[in-house]
Amino acid sequence: MNANIPVLFRTYPSRETHLGCKVWEAARATSAAPTFFKRLEIGNKQPFIDGGLGCNNPSKLVLAEAKVVFPTRQIGCLVSIGTGQAEIISINKPGFLQQIFQTDVMKALKAISTDCEATHEDMLLLFANSPNTYFRLNVEQGMQGIELFEWEKLANVGAHTVQYLRRNEMNEKLSLIANALKFPRAQLMMEQLGMEILFL
Amino acid sequence: MVTAIDSYNNLAQQVFSDPKRWPVDGKFKATKLEEAIKSVVCDVTGNPEEPLLEVGSASVCRT
Repeated sequence: MNANIPVLFRTYPSRETHLGCKVWEAARATSAAPTFFKRLEIGNKQPFIDGGLGCNNPSKLVLAEAKVVFPTRQIGCLVSIGTGQAEIISINKPGFLQQIFQTDVMKALKAISTDCEATHEDMLLLFANSPNTYFRLNVEQGMQGIELFEWEKLANVGAHTVQYLRRNEMNEKLSLIANALKFPRAQLMMEQLGMEILFL
Repeated sequence: MVTAIDSYNNLAQQVFSDPKRWPVDGKFKATKLEEAIKSVVCDVTGNPEEPLLEVGSASVCRT
C-alpha cells in the first residue's frame, strides 16, 4: 500500500499499462475507504484503497493526464467539485479492533492532510492569467455532522447544496461556468503547463 | 443525473444499513458493496462483469 502513488483507472487505452480490470472492480477499489471496507486486490495481488487517503483533490492528476492524452489541445475549462469542507470529509475514527489489527492504516490515516484546499490554491495560481477557466464548487457550510455512511441524510446533503447554490455570488459563478462549458475558449496550451507546477 | 443520485441512494442504503457484527477489516461488508456495484453495472451495461476498458473510444472527448 502506498497512498502517495495514485493509480488511474482508465476506460480508454493509454501508454500506461492497463490493469485489465472490470467496471465493478474499479468502483470497488475506489470506494475501499479504510475502516469502512477491506481493501481490494486486483490482478497481481495489488491492493487498492480509496483515493481519499492521499488524493482528495485530483485536479493536478487530471491536468497531467490531459497533457498526455491531448498534448496538442488547449484547456477551455476545468471545473472542480468538492464534497464539503476539509474537516468534514475526514474518515471516521477506526474502532478498537481496527486499531489493533491495522496499524499501517492507522499511520496512513494520521498522515492524511486533506489536501483539497492546498490543491485549489495551486490551481488558482496556475490559472491566474486565464480568466474564467478554472472553477471550484464546494458546499462550505452544513455538511459538518454528516458521515460517509449516513445514507439516510442524503436529503440534508441536498438541502445544504441548494442553500449553497442560492447564495448571491453563485448566480454569476454558475453562468460563467455554464458559458465556459458550452462555449469553451482555448485559454491555455497543454504545453504551457509545466509538470513542475502540477507537482508543487 | 437523477438516475445516478437514485442509484447512489439505493447502494448506500443496501451497504450501510447492515454493519458487521464483528468489525474486523472494515465496519461494513465488502461483499454487500460488491453486489450493489455489480447490480448498478448490470443495469447500465447488461453485464455485471463488464470490462472497464471501452473498445474503440481512443482519444474521444466525452464532454
